[in-house]
Amino acid sequence: MKVYLRGAATTKFGELWNISPRTLVGNAVNDALTQSGLNSKDIQAIFVGNMLSGALGNQEHLGAFFAEELGMIVPAMRVEGACASGGLAMHAGVLAALSGSYENVLVVGVEKMTDYQPEEVASLLMGAGSEAEREAGATFPALYALIARAHMEKYGTTEEEMAAVSVKNHYHASLNSHAHFTSPVTIKKVLRSPVVASPLKLLDCSPISDGAAAVVISTVKPKSKKHVAIVASSVSTDTLGLSERHDLTTLQSAVRASSNAYEIAGIGPKDVDVAEVHDCFTIAEIIAMEDLGFFPRGIAGKSILEGETRIGKKLVVNISGGLKASGHPVGATGVKQIVETYQQLLGIAGPKQIQGARVGLTHNVGGSGATAVIHILALQS
Amino acid sequence: MIVSPVKIWRNQKYVRSMLGLSGIITSWTKIHVPPIGFKSHAPYIVVIAEFSNKKRLTSQLVDWEERHLRLGQKVVTVLRKTRDPGLEGVIPYGVKCKPLDS
Repeated sequence: MKVYLRGAATTKFGELWNISPRTLVGNAVNDALTQSGLNSKDIQAIFVGNMLSGALGNQEHLGAFFAEELGMIVPAMRVEGACASGGLAMHAGVLAALSGSYENVLVVGVEKMTDYQPEEVASLLMGAGSEAEREAGATFPALYALIARAHMEKYGTTEEEMAAVSVKNHYHASLNSHAHFTSPVTIKKVLRSPVVASPLKLLDCSPISDGAAAVVISTVKPKSKKHVAIVASSVSTDTLGLSERHDLTTLQSAVRASSNAYEIAGIGPKDVDVAEVHDCFTIAEIIAMEDLGFFPRGIAGKSILEGETRIGKKLVVNISGGLKASGHPVGATGVKQIVETYQQLLGIAGPKQIQGARVGLTHNVGGSGATAVIHILALQS
Repeated sequence: MIVSPVKIWRNQKYVRSMLGLSGIITSWTKIHVPPIGFKSHAPYIVVIAEFSNKKRLTSQLVDWEERHLRLGQKVVTVLRKTRDPGLEGVIPYGVKCKPLDS
């Protein structure tokens, strides 16, 4: 694969009531373009990752909407895959560049969620689940709670191990000025937070956030001495509903997409230095560690509790703070993961910079695992 | 969220095919923060159940006591009102699970 990242930026994530989606996207795109050294006339196509702009903001047709807004009258389209919309938009952008049709492609992810009542947003997010799940009154915390209970039963995973994911990611977010939450939490605080869907508590759950992220990709190799290439982009799917799966303790879409991505990139899990994974709930990061081959099954929770994936270790996971603490503006998340990984590999990640990373992986999940998108990025010089 | 009366009507055949199945709970959760249409039910239990015909379903558990909240608990499917009626005024019925004492 010969697709390069030329520029990448995110807005701050959080409750941004005074900033519109168009301003969020404008700011992220402006920063990404400036970094790329390209100008808006060089962009030949736009892919927008978003899930809820129609249901929440009455605005569909986001391709043309942002093409006009950005003053780029080029082919533009929205890509939707629930919480994996950003990753899918990235995949579509990479394929478009690889097709030879476009040299420079802009990928944008955006979601505006905090203007609305949480229960309204929770109901609409269930559009990513199955009809039976909606009829049962399940929410996304509930679906991941069902996964958590099965994982606890099969492997003895504990609530404390899940809490450790939250503690680590809040600590990493405290180093990230763009994060939704920048205050550290303790295991005790996580365990004592109100129950949302047992065994998951408030501090096991990622927040509802606003935010945007943008990247400029190109088939033209950057002139700089060090640059970042996308060496694999892979997608897989699974059943929409959880109950149709034989095993609740793994997301097989992520297993398939990552094993394909490793093969395309010619690397294995041991080669990954930095990973941004889809920790929509703390149990999701534990399962991601196992599905991606970083730890044997049943071991990830203990390893996270022991600090094996914190800053300073060989494999650093969710250095941005992840979805849990950096925030989860649904359509922006998959693109933000690319932005963070790009910055880490280039050594421009500021106070949260990790040392010597050459290979990064992003893991973006839609629904309760019905879509998984994996990207592998490599530093080249 | 719009719940079309036509969709509820169309769904009846499926609902009927899922009634009276017995099986076991393979996972459960108690929901304290409900979505729209379920506020009056909270807190409530959602389970994944696997039936003897190998079909599986995510559904609410009704008529439960704390001792029923465990993996392996026997259940049977029953017809119950599901969500609060919307503006259309149609009362939606669907499949729920009920613990079986054995």
